[in-house]
Amino acid sequence: MQILVVDDDPLAGEMIAAVLEEEGHQPVLASSAIEGMEKLNEEEAIGLVISDMNMPLVNGIDFFRELREQGNQLPFILLTGDDPQKASEQEAGLDACIMKDFSLDESLPGVLNQVLGNSSRSS
Amino acid sequence: MALDISKFILRFVDEAREHLQQLSEGIAILENGQADAEQINVLFRAAHTLKGSSRMLKLTAITETAHALEDLLSALRDGQLPLESFSRFSLLYQGLDTLTSLVEQLAEHRDPAQLPDKDADLCEALTLAAQGQELPTAPPQEAATASRLPEISEQPQQTSSPDASLKASESVRIKLSSLDELIKLMGEVVSSHSQMRALVGDSRQLLRQASDADAAFTGQLDLFNRRLREGVQVQESLMQELHDKAMQLRMLPLATIFDSAGRLVREMARSLGKEVECRVLGSEIELDRQMIDQLADPVIHLLRNALDHGLETVEERLKAGKPAQGKVSLSAWQDGSWVVIEVCDDGRGISLEAVSEKALRKELMTSEQLEALNEQEIIDLIFLPGFSTSQMITEMSGRGVGMDVVKSSVVDQLQGTLNVRSRPGEGSCFTLKLPLSLALMRVLLVEVAGQPLGFTAQYVSELVKVEASRLLEVADRKAIILRNEFVPVVYLSDLIDLPVGSRSRQSSQLLLLVTQVRNEKLALVVDELLDERDLVIKQLPEHLRRQPLISGMVTRGHNELVSLLHVPQLLERSRRSRRETSRLADAEQAAKHLLVVDDSLNTREIEKDVLEAYGYRVTLAENGQEGLEKARQENFDAVLTDVEMPIMDGFTLTARLRQEEAYKNCPIIIITSREKESDRRRGIEVGADAYIVKGSFDQGSLVETLKVLLD
Repeated sequence: MQILVVDDDPLAGEMIAAVLEEEGHQPVLASSAIEGMEKLNEEEAIGLVISDMNMPLVNGIDFFRELREQGNQLPFILLTGDDPQKASEQEAGLDACIMKDFSLDESLPGVLNQVLGNSSRSS
Repeated sequence: MALDISKFILRFVDEAREHLQQLSEGIAILENGQADAEQINVLFRAAHTLKGSSRMLKLTAITETAHALEDLLSALRDGQLPLESFSRFSLLYQGLDTLTSLVEQLAEHRDPAQLPDKDADLCEALTLAAQGQELPTAPPQEAATASRLPEISEQPQQTSSPDASLKASESVRIKLSSLDELIKLMGEVVSSHSQMRALVGDSRQLLRQASDADAAFTGQLDLFNRRLREGVQVQESLMQELHDKAMQLRMLPLATIFDSAGRLVREMARSLGKEVECRVLGSEIELDRQMIDQLADPVIHLLRNALDHGLETVEERLKAGKPAQGKVSLSAWQDGSWVVIEVCDDGRGISLEAVSEKALRKELMTSEQLEALNEQEIIDLIFLPGFSTSQMITEMSGRGVGMDVVKSSVVDQLQGTLNVRSRPGEGSCFTLKLPLSLALMRVLLVEVAGQPLGFTAQYVSELVKVEASRLLEVADRKAIILRNEFVPVVYLSDLIDLPVGSRSRQSSQLLLLVTQVRNEKLALVVDELLDERDLVIKQLPEHLRRQPLISGMVTRGHNELVSLLHVPQLLERSRRSRRETSRLADAEQAAKHLLVVDDSLNTREIEKDVLEAYGYRVTLAENGQEGLEKARQENFDAVLTDVEMPIMDGFTLTARLRQEEAYKNCPIIIITSREKESDRRRGIEVGADAYIVKGSFDQGSLVETLKVLLD
């Protein structure tokens, strides 16, 4: 599956991409929400969005809300360097919200499968 | 762990350095009170990104430290801490320095497991500061320093290996050796081009000789000649440009040294228990890489010196009515084809007494020699080999090297100059002046006794043509007056023992190459100026390096090698020969002690030589104020003074001396370049006994005048 990865820190973006590739997915990288939006318009095959929370101009939650407003219903996983609990409380519509840390290579695949399972069941 | 993080470590180090750089610049702006909300946000983002990516790599100490720093920055950004009243910059810097040290350790070991634990005190202090509180028990700086110091002393690598991180998209990495080969080749091409220039001259010569051949042939030759010349000129400018561009490839910004300097200064200040604000200016100025490498040690030494010897302790500063926090600045700017680097502090200044006393104790000078020196000359003693003002060898400055090593590396290796200014109680300023590049320098080529010789332009102050009759005879030597200053004149051929050229001695016009090292001048008689241009300087071969008189070689057309003379060595030679000749006085007058006041070093020296040659004892002063002070300390038999001087002029000095009981009737002679009658009258009005105009200076009349007045 093609997965959009949005992170303003290119290093973090590539590490997330590495985890996704390990799982057999094809990551599409964007360094901002705006670039992410462009990528979504270009690549119709993208089936999921993973975005960093804290980014300049448009943050992860605003990006999520913008997508939903535009009618985009792709599953959305928010990564954050701060407390994930707080972000979930801020936006209940998020499919998942996880801490961006060194255990990402274990936590992310699990959450990914869970989210994909949920969305296939609901659709 | 499924993900191989090792390949991300180096990427992280590269990016972290950029973020730290941003933080370092940003905090400085913040400290200067010039930061707006957006700039603080940039700082916050840098800390935040460091936190995020380090966490993914399990670099816990970096994550936690960046997190704590982020807390404080976000409180500032969101206005929870009012920016106007914020003053915990040292804490911000400490956070920055700790992060930098951690990142550099990671760069070295490339193993997250080898990183030390976070500095808990520092993190707590930062977090508390974000809430507007201080660490309750110990002051946070000291607590944090104590726990960090051992780790720093084990890791001194941060000062010695400045690394320019290249941005991948805009730059290519090239092996330095290949670049050097390219530059060397370029130098050869430039050198060989001068042969082409010589060919143009040859061809013109041919044309002249062929003038009696048939007109059609000379016409063609003339055309060929002109095209050749044009071609060579076009090629020359293209080559110059190509060479400049190639040289630029070797240029690095001073930031490679300067960026680590701020941190170094803060770390040193902390370990010395001093408070300091370090300002760094001009790190964007670029210098040849070769010079950057050799410059790091002298600059670090000067900074150490400023902190260790220059700045006082907090108590001393407060006692002297100065702010507790000292200032050290490191600045650079470009001045023509030179780069000037200054290290200044607002500390105690260089103590003349301490320097004099030390020079005596180390037997670098005799007390008579010392007495003859002015303030600047005494300060300059710190550059003598074997001199070091520190009472004991401290960890900081006293690593067995002194200012003499700094000076020799600046003068000998970098072809630059090093000066110091200092005012007691106000601070010191060391000024380095360096050529932009060592490989290519402005050179004047002159001819002496049929021999071409070169001078690098930094030592040449002017070139003048004068009538031979304008030379003065003073104390068995020749001198010329250039703008109110006596400048000794020597024939270059005599100075370097070349067989005497017949031409220069006979001609009525003399060509003088006036050389200057710091404030000392020496005019050299040369036969002809051959050329002035930027030339590639070639190093001397190994077996000739110990030859002090020649600093390098250049090639001229037809592959002719020309030696470059090392001007400081020439001055030294000239001084030595002066000492030999000027000690033939009869002791008859020895009782008479004269005070000579003039702001020009050369004039003072020459007047001194003349007077000593006639047996007087001479004390020197640099300006009216200094003259007045010396006159009050000691009774002189006569005073000789210049008029135009900084601080106090000669008229004022004369008038003031006349008010002193001891000098009511003492002979005072004014020696000046002012020829106007009104000046002469003013001199007599303020009480001078004689008024001698330098233009008509004749040592005989000075000595006669003195004799008459002293009898």
